[in-house]
Amino acid sequence: MTTLDALADELRFADDAMRLEILLDYAGRLPPLPEQYHALRDAGLNRVDECQAPVFLMVDVVDGKVKILADVPEEAPTARSFVALLLEAFNDQPPSVVAEAPPDILHRLGLTGLLGMQRTRGLSAIYQRIKHEVARKAEASR
Amino acid sequence: MATYAHPEVLVSTDWVAEHLNDTDTIRIVESDEDVLLYETGHIPNAVKIDWVNDLQDQIVRDYIGKQRFAQLCEELGISNDTTVVFYGDKSNWWACYAFWVFRLFGHEKCLLMDGGRKKWVDEGRPLTRERPTFARGSYTAKDPDPSIRAFRDEVLRHIETNRPLVDVRSPAEYRGEVTHMPGYPQEGALRGGHIPGARSIPWSRAANEDGTFKSREELEAIYLQEQGLKPDDDVIAYCRIGERSSHTWFVLTYLLGFDRVRNYDGSWTEWGNLVGVPIEKGAPTPAEAEASA
Repeated sequence: MTTLDALADELRFADDAMRLEILLDYAGRLPPLPEQYHALRDAGLNRVDECQAPVFLMVDVVDGKVKILADVPEEAPTARSFVALLLEAFNDQPPSVVAEAPPDILHRLGLTGLLGMQRTRGLSAIYQRIKHEVARKAEASR
Repeated sequence: MATYAHPEVLVSTDWVAEHLNDTDTIRIVESDEDVLLYETGHIPNAVKIDWVNDLQDQIVRDYIGKQRFAQLCEELGISNDTTVVFYGDKSNWWACYAFWVFRLFGHEKCLLMDGGRKKWVDEGRPLTRERPTFARGSYTAKDPDPSIRAFRDEVLRHIETNRPLVDVRSPAEYRGEVTHMPGYPQEGALRGGHIPGARSIPWSRAANEDGTFKSREELEAIYLQEQGLKPDDDVIAYCRIGERSSHTWFVLTYLLGFDRVRNYDGSWTEWGNLVGVPIEKGAPTPAEAEASA
């Protein structure tokens, strides 16, 4: 069982009130973006355009391990919690873990019901960006 | 400076700060786009109403029915005579949306906190994660009030009779270059453009940088002088799913005193996908520009 599967189970088997509690906990755990990347973020680079909040993502593969850095404003706690969850699931894992992660992740996390269709797209875009970038960096580092 | 047409409906952050503990008669409601924002900290004694999970029916594309509405109010300790004060993120879009739904079901005492959540936070006022509980309310909901809600057939008649339609989306959405706001691609439509004859008045023109509303004079300059609307016009406002147009509905109804404004909540996600209805693309036509000059 991957870390992502374990995290997904925790959320999937919760009710909506517990899901919000779990997400709130993740939102508070997103590691701060190291200072040397603030200029990049503030210049609007590496931004996920599909998100209405300015979500900053830097994805790399170093020595065969996934390294993701991210920043999401506190006014967008749902995106913040989702990014924190993905960082816990993917960081320091081989790229294959990201490649094999299921495409319908929001459904598996039980988030489509909680958010409604209108609010899931930005999160899907974050997920697709990470999958795409990990595949690209893994290919380049081969 | 002239006051708004119904100034009693808009309250300041100061007013809310002074009434935090008047929970027997006043209920503060936070309504945000982000489902988790209330949980990160909210105004003390404020309850949460989520536009998707609480106000929308999960099966039919519609609002909840009056029974469910009454139940929601009772659970939040809201009775028919409770004064409900709305505030939220995004310049109060969802607060206006919730306000509008409460008016739809005939709730009398609805107030809006000018500047919304952002102003409260920026002023360094207290937030708490403590979720308050109140004694159950007693609520009898009325049937939805058709005078503030427009349906597609009414929009068609509006086009045929040349009555004013106000498109409050971004100019690029109005012209049909994109079918959604930047950042909201899920809420798309099959065609881009606007309802024929609609004026383009983006919602944001009514708001200051800090999320508060512009003054009466500034609003009149936009909606009356520039766009040629009149307070006795029969106006339908729309956007993409009906939240930004709730904001404009609030402005026209309460700040400028229009008495016949309806929100078309089907908005572009219905009209842009609807079989057999006309659309227009591009900038406002010269005739419209002239009429609105």
